[in-house]
Amino acid sequence: MRLNPLTLKKIRRFRSIRRGYYSLIIFTIMIGISLFAELLINNRALIVYYEGEVYFPTYGQMIPGSFFGLDYEYETNYRQLRKGFQTENSGNWVVMPIVPYGKLETDFKEDTYPPFPPSFQEKHYLGTDNVGRDIVARLVYGFRIAIAFSLILLLINYSIGISIGIAMGYWGGTFDLLFQRIIEIWSNVPFLYVIIIISSIVVPNFMMLVLIMAVFGWIGMTWTMRTVTYKEKEREYILAAKMLGASSFRILFKHLLPNTISIIVTYAPFAVSGGIVALTSLDYLGFGLAPPTPSWGELIQQGWANMNAWWIAISVISSMLITLIVVTFIGEAVREAFDPKLHTTYE
Amino acid sequence: MTIYNRILLFGVWICLVLLSVYQPDQAIGNTVLPENIKWLTNTKDPVFASDKAKKGGTFHASILSFPMTFRVIGPDSNGSFRSAILDNQLSLIGIHPNTENIIPELATHWAFGDDKKTMYFKLNKSARWSDGEPVTSDDFLFAVEFMRSKEIVAPWYNDYYTKEIDRVIVYDDHTLAVVATKAQPDLHLRVGLSPIPRHFYGKLDKDFVRKYNWKIVPNTGPYQISDFQKGKYIHFKRKQDWWAKDLHYFKNRFNVDKVVFSVVRDTNILWEYFKKGKEDVFSLVMPDYWHEKSRTPVIENGYVHKIWFFNDTQQSAMGMWLNQDREIFQDRNVRYAFAHAMNIEKVIKNVLRDDYFRLEHGFVGYGRYSNPDIKARRFDLDKVDQYMKASGWSRGPDGLWSKGGKKFSVEVTYSFDEHTPRLVVLKEEAKKAGMELRLQRLDSSATFKKFLEKNHDVAWMGWSTSLRPQFWEHFHSVNAHKSQTNNITNTDDPEMDQLIDAFRNSLEEEERIQLSRKIQSRIHEIGCFVPTFMVPYVRQAYWRWWKLPEVPGTKMSGDLFSPFGSTTGGLLWYDPDLFAETKQAMKAGKTFQPVTIVDETYKMKE
Repeated sequence: MRLNPLTLKKIRRFRSIRRGYYSLIIFTIMIGISLFAELLINNRALIVYYEGEVYFPTYGQMIPGSFFGLDYEYETNYRQLRKGFQTENSGNWVVMPIVPYGKLETDFKEDTYPPFPPSFQEKHYLGTDNVGRDIVARLVYGFRIAIAFSLILLLINYSIGISIGIAMGYWGGTFDLLFQRIIEIWSNVPFLYVIIIISSIVVPNFMMLVLIMAVFGWIGMTWTMRTVTYKEKEREYILAAKMLGASSFRILFKHLLPNTISIIVTYAPFAVSGGIVALTSLDYLGFGLAPPTPSWGELIQQGWANMNAWWIAISVISSMLITLIVVTFIGEAVREAFDPKLHTTYE
Repeated sequence: MTIYNRILLFGVWICLVLLSVYQPDQAIGNTVLPENIKWLTNTKDPVFASDKAKKGGTFHASILSFPMTFRVIGPDSNGSFRSAILDNQLSLIGIHPNTENIIPELATHWAFGDDKKTMYFKLNKSARWSDGEPVTSDDFLFAVEFMRSKEIVAPWYNDYYTKEIDRVIVYDDHTLAVVATKAQPDLHLRVGLSPIPRHFYGKLDKDFVRKYNWKIVPNTGPYQISDFQKGKYIHFKRKQDWWAKDLHYFKNRFNVDKVVFSVVRDTNILWEYFKKGKEDVFSLVMPDYWHEKSRTPVIENGYVHKIWFFNDTQQSAMGMWLNQDREIFQDRNVRYAFAHAMNIEKVIKNVLRDDYFRLEHGFVGYGRYSNPDIKARRFDLDKVDQYMKASGWSRGPDGLWSKGGKKFSVEVTYSFDEHTPRLVVLKEEAKKAGMELRLQRLDSSATFKKFLEKNHDVAWMGWSTSLRPQFWEHFHSVNAHKSQTNNITNTDDPEMDQLIDAFRNSLEEEERIQLSRKIQSRIHEIGCFVPTFMVPYVRQAYWRWWKLPEVPGTKMSGDLFSPFGSTTGGLLWYDPDLFAETKQAMKAGKTFQPVTIVDETYKMKE
């Protein structure tokens, strides 16, 4: 594939901005880890060797305890199975993930009550929350949900916002006027309250929450796109396309959109961090996804309620901080890379 | 004015006067006491105050917000401070907190009419309002007039005093009868009215609500408001020559001279105030306060004592209510299996620190009306297996039970964020039993609406209690399969209906007790309710100069240090010597043995 020399230049410029470039690498690794979280953080074993056969329980259906010769019908507790195999010394073995706890699994102890502090010996590297669930597991799986949430939200918001924005700018006139008023009215709806009201009546699932957020989220992009389109549509290449008889649709999406891409791209990372913050704050307030879905907002809430269990608040706040800083650095670097003026500085 | 006109006017005036005197339904009419009346009284039951009690001292209590009005009726009157005012208002009769027998308050004697809807009372002749006026039968007549009047803007009371109370009959200044609209068991709970001073209110007008916002109404109890500053504090002073102070059940009670309620808007701040000695008592019911936060110098140095007192009173029916209109719960085996899949014991042990107790059924703590033989179904995977298989379910590849392509997955709806940890553990344990619980937390009014409209699978909630068990609302088929009724399990069982009807129609205590127990067994057999927790105790911290009787409370005590309340309040007293000793010790850095009292006198037997 041959890239446009301008694009190559932008990529080079982006790579030259070290802070942003490394942030992108870190962010990619974070997403990568979260996508394969089941292999790293799970109460299901990676490999079980039992009576001459090898099993991979990570993905797929649950295997009842009776399958491995235990006396129960529910899902095998692989940590116990491993201990059992070790004491039996029968040649069977189990390989567990690095963090051998699930995202929903509660791990209690005798005579003491959660939250439990971090312990390397028990492989609760960041401790547990107030019902004994592993914090690493909650953080990683929570991150996966948050990032998926904000990426899908971004996609929907931008599709709607950009389409309407460029249409307003391109056609102008009554259509523009009408939509401006609609958007002004719409943007005056206090959307956080609306979401709170909706989710106190029906508990939204993941996609519903995305859609509710999108209903109010597309507005921001329209203004920018409208202005840019007004500017672009007077340019010669648009006039040329019109002269050649291109349809409006073709002009908008084939000629106009690619020329405004720099603006869209620079806004995107900030929208991602906005999405994460929105989901987290909704969860914090208790109006987000239904428990026991792993969520950062819920962890912040727990940290606040259990100040003496410092490990909860510290883990989740540092994770939040790192994620948002990384995304912001990427955003800054992208903006700079796409900036036609070469000497922009950020303070 | 001609003489004619004068005569005419005079005539009209005479007619008006006659009309106003003649009140056909109440005052005049049957004003002769029936002859066969058997007057009863009760000064035989054991007293529960201590004869070591001394008068004196100031008790510092707190309120979370200043009341919006001192009225106890009408708009904005239903705040929490209302009870402090009402607790200083006596009724005709009271209930002994340990024996539940009737005891005298404003009336010295009472009698039951043969029609089972009339009760006669003889008032205590020394009974006085706080302004010195005597309490007379007319004040009870006025109470009903007052409660029925439109001026007080209290539709619920208008309705209640019309539908439940038929009338008050005055025989003389100190003898009266109260008639209920229908014959009923436990009539005394219905007709033991509280008087309202006619001489104070006079004629009610449209201005009532505004006019009486901050008026201090004369009362008959041991304390009266002496001073207040809006938004800051309210002071109550003990009446030095209170008319009832030597009555059998009031002796040695209500000892504190002055009670100060100051506004403290936050529990954490209240805790700090308490530790500084600015408040006298602090509630430690919450596990984190009792176990963690109370590890603080004032308690460890023995200046503040802790008390854990078990009471024996009606327990809220807290648990999981299964909607039997849902296809999955129409099968009794499935309901049983569901109950056996709930690991309530694990929640109590690991989440609630063994501080809560297992509720065995929905009507615990109703004395003889409770059936002690019912035991809630315990977590038992074998029984789940047995019941599910009996109904033709089998475990699918994901470990959940399934039948005809449908998975066992039900929604559990609840409203308190604090309950999430409990439900999370239940969910994980239920997974082992092959059942999926989908947790749904809604805002509390949305939750209740959902339950009343019967749109839930499983309702996680508790009902408030009353002195006698209420079955009809919750389990009679009349209330099933329709919205806005309390039968949220949609129980529709002919045998149950029969029992409940018999219970409601019976006027014999013994029969009612037997029926009540039978109904409870039937509920257990139907298995539509999975009982969860109860908290049959009160836990408090208090400065050591406060003293309580040897048995520090009663079966019904909800707050051991409640300064008012004719049933259980006012048992505490102030010891000035201990106060001086403690203050000196604190100054000198001397410490005492830390004290934690656990009183199990009334603990419910398991």
